[in-house]
Amino acid sequence: MAPDTLATLKICGIVILLAPLAGAILAGALAPVLRGRAHWPTILGVGAAFAAAICVFIHVRQFDAEHVSALVPVYDWIASGTGSAFRVEFLIDPLTSVMLLTVTGVSLLVVIYSRDYMREHGRPEKGYERFFAFLALFVFAMCALVLGGNFVLLYLGWEAVGLCSYLLIGFYYQRPAAAAAAKKAFLVNRVGDFGFGLAIFLIYISFGTLQYGEVFEMVERGVLANGDPLTQGRVTGIALLLLCGACGKSAQLPLHVWLPDAMEGPSPVSALIHAATMVTAGVYMIARCGAIFTASPLAMTVVAAIGATTALFAATVALVQTDMKRILAYSTISQLGYMFLGVGVYAADAAIFHLFTHAFFKALLFLGAGSVMHAMGGIIDMRQFGGLRKLLPWTFLTFLIGSLALAGVPMFSGFFSKDEIIHQAFTRHWVLGTIGLVTAVLTAFYTFRMVFVAFFGDERVPEGVHAHESGRWMLVPLFILAIGAIGAGYLGVGGKPFHHFLEPVFEHTFVAANPAWGGHEAGHAVGFWAAYGLMIISGGLAILAIGAAYVLYNRQPWIPPLVRASLPQGYDALWNKYYVDELYDDAIVKPARKSGKICVGLDDYLIDGLVWVVTAIPRGLAYMLRGFQAGAMQGYALSMVAGMAVIVLLVFWAGK
Amino acid sequence: MSPVADYLILGSILFALGLVGFLSRRNLIVMFLSTEVMFQGVVVNAVAFARLHHHLEGQAFALFLLVIAAVEAGLALGMIVLLYRRRGTLDAEAWSIMRG
Amino acid sequence: MSGSTASALYFVFALGGAGVYFLLPHGDRPRTMVGAILGLGALVGWFVVLAFGGLMGTGHTGYFYLFATIAVVAAARVVTHPRPVYSALYFVLVVIAVASLLVLQEAEFLAVALIIIYAGAILVTYLFVIMLASQGGSATYDRRAREPFLAVLAGFVLMAAIASHADAVPESVTDRPAQLASDSSAGVVADSNTLAIGQLVMTKYVVVLEVAGLLLLIAMVGAIALSRKKVPVESGYRPTEPVGEIGRKVEPF
Repeated sequence: MAPDTLATLKICGIVILLAPLAGAILAGALAPVLRGRAHWPTILGVGAAFAAAICVFIHVRQFDAEHVSALVPVYDWIASGTGSAFRVEFLIDPLTSVMLLTVTGVSLLVVIYSRDYMREHGRPEKGYERFFAFLALFVFAMCALVLGGNFVLLYLGWEAVGLCSYLLIGFYYQRPAAAAAAKKAFLVNRVGDFGFGLAIFLIYISFGTLQYGEVFEMVERGVLANGDPLTQGRVTGIALLLLCGACGKSAQLPLHVWLPDAMEGPSPVSALIHAATMVTAGVYMIARCGAIFTASPLAMTVVAAIGATTALFAATVALVQTDMKRILAYSTISQLGYMFLGVGVYAADAAIFHLFTHAFFKALLFLGAGSVMHAMGGIIDMRQFGGLRKLLPWTFLTFLIGSLALAGVPMFSGFFSKDEIIHQAFTRHWVLGTIGLVTAVLTAFYTFRMVFVAFFGDERVPEGVHAHESGRWMLVPLFILAIGAIGAGYLGVGGKPFHHFLEPVFEHTFVAANPAWGGHEAGHAVGFWAAYGLMIISGGLAILAIGAAYVLYNRQPWIPPLVRASLPQGYDALWNKYYVDELYDDAIVKPARKSGKICVGLDDYLIDGLVWVVTAIPRGLAYMLRGFQAGAMQGYALSMVAGMAVIVLLVFWAGK
Repeated sequence: MSPVADYLILGSILFALGLVGFLSRRNLIVMFLSTEVMFQGVVVNAVAFARLHHHLEGQAFALFLLVIAAVEAGLALGMIVLLYRRRGTLDAEAWSIMRG
Repeated sequence: MSGSTASALYFVFALGGAGVYFLLPHGDRPRTMVGAILGLGALVGWFVVLAFGGLMGTGHTGYFYLFATIAVVAAARVVTHPRPVYSALYFVLVVIAVASLLVLQEAEFLAVALIIIYAGAILVTYLFVIMLASQGGSATYDRRAREPFLAVLAGFVLMAAIASHADAVPESVTDRPAQLASDSSAGVVADSNTLAIGQLVMTKYVVVLEVAGLLLLIAMVGAIALSRKKVPVESGYRPTEPVGEIGRKVEPF
């Protein structure tokens, strides 16, 4: 690796990290001065990071085949005496650069969008400056997560994005629902992070180092730091614990409960954090730690199973929701399930590709929903408006494009990425593939249910709302994302430049370990029918599902209520998200509260009682001695006489 | 055997009685009266010792003791009157501000 | 004093202490009868001890017993009577008894001086003040004694400790005839006690005499100043706690 390339990468990395951070600090510190212009530090900071990410990409493209990744040390952070220091270092390889581009690019668009979104009638909302400061802080944290070259930086970025998520979900902190949602997100993440932390400890104990390169090399060789062989049990344990953290961050079963509630935050937050970037950190982590995961077939199976189950579960729940953002949230959970399924069936490049395209169309959909919400005066419940096609033409157009991409309609980006995962899933086990297909159908159905109910039909707006199309600042990002939603998919077709770009990263891990391939070769289709047949089937099913949604919600709108009435329990189960929240509440929250009350009782009675007993001794002594100080002169005289009597007695008897 | 043992014992009895009265009565006047009883005991003792030593020093001492007793009685009674005027009671325990 | 005598003396004192304890005012349950019996018994016992313990000096007559009885009984009543007027009157009796005892000891001048000054001046003053401040009958604070047990205990223990060494004075002077009319130390010869004392005081203790006079003057000035002092009347004091309990009860923080 040429030294000046390393130096350039180092500078780019530092810019990527520090520019958004500086933007955050400036936006926060100069808030009283900036007021309505507080978006500028953030836009400039994130813009600089995006430019640096492009620079990194250009350099990474020029990596030759042997030097696939660059470990760029920046400085020694904590140097312990044994020589193993925690160093701030960047690992820059194709995966990193893809993630960086996605993160900084989508962030930039969201920040630009927010400039108009966080205003009411042109005047900035209360807390405008806070919003932009937190957004920039988030970008910094996410970049740290992605750029990190060791597990410490990964964990640092992990926790920091969790913090920013909490701050941003609870942005409207005066609303109790928002505050509760923020708490819930943080706590559920914490549960996952506990497993993640244990995994890091285990890695350190086993391998003596936390640097990616060293750890993965030891895993591939199958040895521990002290020379002992690496057992299946240990590597499976590490992988499952890492998976624990990934499930928490990426909202997979059973730690998915925070994501729907996180929709209490503003729509840009939902778009950026809970669709395009933060929640994908789990997928990124599994992809990055491919060596560990692929060393344990059991862990891979678990990952695939969790991904598939979550995808199906979330898709079914999304079928009956009426809050647009909630539908999109469940859709996100479902698509993340696809990504997990992807890595679980050794198709990590397909999973990252899906992550890439999903970032575009999901962000597009969330921002579009935000545009609708802005026009509807803050209401996002689909039952209260309809037929917005004519009122909000541009929003409708971009939203439609995003929905087509999500539904996996052929020629849009989602089709290509999703299809590949399903294909790989079939090669692994037919159950996984079938679940993938069914979920795809459901996805198309509920997505267009949303489109038809909200944008088609009779024009209805809530009381007193003047529906108007959004301004320039909001529409331009929507257009850009729409272009990405259509075009990004073509990076994975034909010569598959995207996958080739990522090839060196996964060569030794996922591809090598993939039992279906027997060892080499990237994910090329095996035969014409196997590949294209699946494409035709999935594409056709998607279009059929769209048609079904059209019929049910536009032509014969009396059918859905009939279905609901005939299956009341099923409908209730879906509407209440399978009662998972209630289950957690009963199984975990209530006992925790109860034990808290017990502790309070213990503290009051036991500990305070002990303290009282200990203080009772001096108090008792004082009480007894208080009689000598009654203030009455005769008491004092009595004491004197008594003392004198004692002394006289002593003297006389002693002298006898 | 001591020639004055009986008088000494008598003196100490009077003194003790006066002491008991001083310590246990609450009425200010009776308290001071008890101190006068203590004085009587001391006078008896002083004179007994004078007889023992065959000189009159003890008696002179008792005489001056008498003067002191008179002085003390006058001033004490004056103050008792003032205290009584202040609180309206002769209770010694009315003056326990320095309690605690 | 032999051990048995001392023990007998202690027993007598204990008895006397019990008697005084019962004689002290106890509020609604006066136990004067019990106290009187115990006290008199103690007195008799004391005399017995004096007689048979060999503690009586030479040349004593039965008058000692008489006046001692009067003095002790009257003193006990001074201390234990609930009504202050009676205390004062009993005190007069004490003074007379002590004066008689002084006469027995051939200190006539002192005896008369005692009567004049005490019974005549001091007691009258006391009676005046009692009358001035009396509230009719025995007041609340006269009805109960303050910590009677501890007071009696302390007083009588002290007394026992001192009295048990009453015979520890040297014996070298027992053989000299009682010549109180003359003062061997100052070489004064007089034929009456008064003259002897007068000569002693005027020659050897004249400074003390002058100081005593000065003291009396100061006392007079002080008494006049006190009586003219204007004192603000505080609101009526109401005892809030039972006797002896003032300051005892305080709430735990």
